[in-house]
Amino acid sequence: MAEMQKSWRDGALRLSTLPLLVLMGLFFVIPLIMTALLSFQGTQYYRLVWTWDLNVWTDVFSQIHYWKIMWRTLTMALVCTLLCTVLAIPIAYGMLHRLSRWSDQITLLMVFAFLTDAVLKTFGWVLFLDRSGVLNGTLESIGFPPAAVNVLFSPNATMIGMVYNLLPYTIFTTALSMARIDRDLVLAARDAGATRLRAFVEVTLPLAKPGIWAGAVLVFVLSLGVFLEPKVMGGGTSPLAAELIRQSFETRVNWPLGAALTLVLIVIGAAVLAVAGALAFWQARRGSND
Amino acid sequence: MTDQMEKRLADFVLYGSVIAVLIFFYIPIATLILFSFTQSRFLSWPISEFSTRWYGALLADRDFWSSLGNSALLAVLATVFATLLGIGGAFAWSRYKFRFQWGFRILTFAPLLFPQLLLGVVMLLWFSVLAGWLNLSPGLWSAVIGHVIYITPFCIVIISVQMQGYDDTLDYAAEDAGATRWQILREITLPLIWPGIFSAAIFAFLLSWGNFYITYSLSGSTRTLPTFVFSGIAVGSSPIYPALATLTFLPALVLIFAVGSLRKRAARRRLIKIAEG
Repeated sequence: MAEMQKSWRDGALRLSTLPLLVLMGLFFVIPLIMTALLSFQGTQYYRLVWTWDLNVWTDVFSQIHYWKIMWRTLTMALVCTLLCTVLAIPIAYGMLHRLSRWSDQITLLMVFAFLTDAVLKTFGWVLFLDRSGVLNGTLESIGFPPAAVNVLFSPNATMIGMVYNLLPYTIFTTALSMARIDRDLVLAARDAGATRLRAFVEVTLPLAKPGIWAGAVLVFVLSLGVFLEPKVMGGGTSPLAAELIRQSFETRVNWPLGAALTLVLIVIGAAVLAVAGALAFWQARRGSND
Repeated sequence: MTDQMEKRLADFVLYGSVIAVLIFFYIPIATLILFSFTQSRFLSWPISEFSTRWYGALLADRDFWSSLGNSALLAVLATVFATLLGIGGAFAWSRYKFRFQWGFRILTFAPLLFPQLLLGVVMLLWFSVLAGWLNLSPGLWSAVIGHVIYITPFCIVIISVQMQGYDDTLDYAAEDAGATRWQILREITLPLIWPGIFSAAIFAFLLSWGNFYITYSLSGSTRTLPTFVFSGIAVGSSPIYPALATLTFLPALVLIFAVGSLRKRAARRRLIKIAEG
């Protein structure tokens, strides 16, 4: 596909980009700047006061409580990302190469499950895992003690909910890049005497890397901001950063604090992505030098 | 390990993981559908008596109807704006080449790299300032803007993918034949990328319909279905929500299978064309 060189004086280019640029500028870039500015203000009697000081930031950095929650959020997000990324690999591969006849139907089923209301699905999990829910009720009727599985309202339940809601992202991105791999390369490796596992590890996986990375990044970013699963499935016992931010806006009506915590979370997320990006880049460079 | 054993193990892992994940995905959905038919006020298993009384209770609930209306209005508005902006954005992303294109790509993709709640909160701060100046309060209008910011990047990506196979010589041929740029766009380009636009619109609709975090932070006191459900289950589980879930699953199912069959038809038409050509 040849691309058309356009100058900024071109009407078609302006028509296709300017509305988007104005919208993103007004409602995405300016709000981000606003958030940064707000973190230097203060509150008095639930009202914003334009004080221009560092009080909120000294508060954020002196209270260990905030950092404990940030740390928990980060570890939960990393575990969730790892689980989603690793689980997606056999699923995507199986969809493409074992159940290929049904892959259209399977994709539609997954898309449907993915696009239905997350609040309802999370509630569905509560009904399933509850002490008197479907799982425990069924187990009891075949002879287990009552409430045999007691996972609801714990961090593990939060993790189940997070993986449930985010796994589709990694499956879709991984499957997309695996579908583009030339099958002949794998067959060539097999011909050359590689075992199935070796052909998979040395041919398929490296070629599917872009999709695996893209999915991991998406899931990591999204899992930093969850508060639905910790609240509904985790029972609010171990809140994550998003809950903290929500509380500082809604319950405590302390906007500068909320703004500062939002920025902290954004910076943590960006830092992890930057490290991952640098590692990937470094590895790719080393790989090409071999 | 022999080759045969290795193959069996691989088959087991691959078939097993796909089947397991499908079961996993449908556990809460099936649970909700089952519980929607209970007679009891308490949602506990096993269900002793079946009935459709909670459907009746749901349909008599005025808050349900108003949040259904809000959800529909919000989703339609967000879909129209996000799809139109997505078409423009996709042209700029993948068909044109211009100065600062990388900047444009980063800016229009960045909202996807933000946790949704933070996107909503950050916008809420700005909207509250704006609302103070303009004497408005956050409501459906701010939720629409929030949804458009979040959903447009998805539309750009979906339409761009459809443009990957686009043959530019068609445009040049039409230009040689004396067509204006508007005619080329209307008669050739848009019909060819139509499946992508259609998929983007459906995807946008469903993303907006099911969105919780952005609506929650931006819609003020206006409630959509997800925030209506959240406010209900945060207080205590009411038996009307499984019925609500079951009823709202149906339109989504129809839409998704419509996209699936449309794509297949488009692919078949292309094959027929190749065979004839």
